[in-house]
Amino acid sequence: MPLELLLILVVGGVAAIAVLLHLTGRSDLRLLSADQARQAWLRQFPDSPIAQLTLAEDGHAALIQPEDGSAPLGLVWSFGADTVARCLENVEMKTARRGLYLRLADFSAPGVQLHLNGSEAAHWQRLIAHHPAALATATEV
Amino acid sequence: MDPLSFPDVTQLAVPIFIAAILGEFLWIALKGRGGRYETRDAVTSLIMGAGSVASGIVLGFIAWGFFMVLWEITPLDLGTSIGVIVLCFVLDDLRYYWVHRFGHRIRWVWASHVNHHSSQHYNLTTALRQTWTGTFTFMMVVRAPLVLLGFHPALVLFVGGINLVYQFWIHTEAIGKLPRWFEAVMNTPSHHRAHHGRNPRYLDCNYAGVFIIWDKIFGTFVPEQDSDPVDYGLVYNIATFNPLRVAFHEWVAIYRDMTQPGLSLKQRLLYALAPPGYSHDGSRDTSETIKAKHLARQPQDSGTPGF
Repeated sequence: MPLELLLILVVGGVAAIAVLLHLTGRSDLRLLSADQARQAWLRQFPDSPIAQLTLAEDGHAALIQPEDGSAPLGLVWSFGADTVARCLENVEMKTARRGLYLRLADFSAPGVQLHLNGSEAAHWQRLIAHHPAALATATEV
Repeated sequence: MDPLSFPDVTQLAVPIFIAAILGEFLWIALKGRGGRYETRDAVTSLIMGAGSVASGIVLGFIAWGFFMVLWEITPLDLGTSIGVIVLCFVLDDLRYYWVHRFGHRIRWVWASHVNHHSSQHYNLTTALRQTWTGTFTFMMVVRAPLVLLGFHPALVLFVGGINLVYQFWIHTEAIGKLPRWFEAVMNTPSHHRAHHGRNPRYLDCNYAGVFIIWDKIFGTFVPEQDSDPVDYGLVYNIATFNPLRVAFHEWVAIYRDMTQPGLSLKQRLLYALAPPGYSHDGSRDTSETIKAKHLARQPQDSGTPGF
């Protein structure tokens, strides 16, 4: 197959599929209840039971305090139609107009924008900042 | 100059891939079952597929040059009769089984293959989420015996292409189980769904390309269980749709692990060559420890398929 034709097929095909999926509502972020966030955490860390879970009001993230007090805090967040979870260690935390931005020390999970209202952001910031293992730096943007 | 050539079936199949993806999506949308699609996940998979074709065009000369050197060396030439093509296809599928098994059991090879498992979805776009870095695994050496046995390199690559095209259609939840005789011999959507599972039961199973018999022969077959629905993705799921991060994240992780201070040379090498999950201090989980921990939590699963 001529390279030009292959290129047109690939670019056109990817664009058509992307537009079709977006227009049919396949771009929505997953909404989490507290129970779903709990399940999402245990799906990733089945040996780390939860002491306390703080669900973001927008339902797209939850902060996890494990039962093991010496364990790092955890974070579950919506990732497209699914979820991901990470322990919060050596995080760079930035306050932003719409909440907090966490830069993670993980090439496969570079960062997460948390959409939090004012008091909620301050509460999450305190929880993360006061945990001994969580923070590398904290800045305002 | 060697005049023998075969069509590049993976490139020729591109229009069929696109049409089939649209067909699967419409089926799911109309029926309300049979899988899930997500925009960024699908686009990432498709870009990975395009990048894989591009890397083949750019780096393919390395494997081709290697095979042609072997072809010059070998005194054998089996020709290209129909029987030889069929035999080559079957033997190449055996080659695929072992390369795929190495791809899950040797971290250096896993670094290339991991991106294929990095989607939490399982649809026809997942089939195209292919590696950009396969050349760097040096797994082309597993094809060397075929060339040395007298199968022309062009034929070996041709049947390998057919193998990959076959595997496209099995990446779907829209097809349940097929007739028993077919499930017994061939790799099917059901068998391959299990392979993509991150459930402890399904880790390191069903490596087959076309014929599932290899898994049955070598003891890695686990049938999909209705009682344990497949949870797609990685044990430790990635949180990025960036194709560059998808393609290279495990290579970066290997580099970071190998360059930690205070390790012995053996430990550094094991971070590249041991099964995924190896750690010098035992702080991480391998498939074996994940299964053991699962059985500690769910002892009733002991003795069931996959445990």
